[in-house]
Amino acid sequence: MVKISDLKVGQVLKDEFNGITRELLKEYAKASGDTNPIHTNDVVAERAGLKGVIGHGLLSFGFISKLFEDFLEHGKYGKLIEIGVQMRGMVRVSDLLVTEAIVKKIERKKVFFDVVQTTITNVDIKNKDGKIIKQFEAGERGYISENDIERGLVKKKEVPEGTLTYRERVATPGEAIIELFE
Amino acid sequence: MDIEEMKKNAQFLIDNIKGMDIPGSTTLSIRYRNMVNFAKVYGITDPKYVGPEDEGVIACHAFANFYTIKAIYKLLLGFKLNQDGRERGLALDLGKLLHAGNRYNWEGCVDVKPGDKLTVTGKCIDARLVEKNMMFFTDFLVNVKNQNNEPVCNITISAGFRKGGY
Repeated sequence: MVKISDLKVGQVLKDEFNGITRELLKEYAKASGDTNPIHTNDVVAERAGLKGVIGHGLLSFGFISKLFEDFLEHGKYGKLIEIGVQMRGMVRVSDLLVTEAIVKKIERKKVFFDVVQTTITNVDIKNKDGKIIKQFEAGERGYISENDIERGLVKKKEVPEGTLTYRERVATPGEAIIELFE
Repeated sequence: MDIEEMKKNAQFLIDNIKGMDIPGSTTLSIRYRNMVNFAKVYGITDPKYVGPEDEGVIACHAFANFYTIKAIYKLLLGFKLNQDGRERGLALDLGKLLHAGNRYNWEGCVDVKPGDKLTVTGKCIDARLVEKNMMFFTDFLVNVKNQNNEPVCNITISAGFRKGGY
């Protein structure tokens, strides 16, 4: 059960989705009617200067509403009032999409959230000699820009196989409001 | 297209579309199959959204994406302006169009059900040029109502146009 008295400012709701595939983009295109081929056809996306297909902006937006629907157990404990986002960064195939909603303010039965969707894009794994032993789609297709490096978005961490290079970028910042019944 | 022409076009649009109702409206029929297939993309299994049609199934919140995209394309393609004696659309090149932001508000709204007929109307509430990167932005307020004239969602869409797209 979710009650207003159980929530605190700073509390975080979180979801991680690692199923962004070309098949999912095709399924979403069919289901949503957004059939722009930059989301489903690499050749067209490359011609548009995108280096490969990109996720539909509203596809990732839908994971925000799902986060709240799951939290409210599909209307059992409250309702979703508003979600607003800015679409700043492209979401790519193989990205890990992390959706977080942080309680910003509580007024009576309404709860106001800051929402942020972050993409984690794996680039490659290098061994201790600096040799690439595994390359991901972002490395193969060159999704990481000089600008990403300059902005400090490209990071490294140790994994069992070696050193993983990845980009961590905010794709979708925004806000949301829910209203609880109790 | 040079910078001066882009600035001229941007100013024309600001003067002519800001505050303007998008001509006409568009109607969408909501089918059970569309609602359920949409929910399944997100892995939604709750019968409230994917259950049998005769058991009161409703659309999940993300389904607003479905009518937003269909409506905005229809409405924007119908947008005709006259600039210096020539007819033009809002976008000169739809390939330069970016979806820059989105806000859904469901306060006071009713659920979407199979068989609903939704009517979508829109208004341009802001238009501006960002000279730093020469991006042109427009914000549209889109109202979606069902066949009983009840609101189902109020949407604000921000569209961005890259150089050469406006």
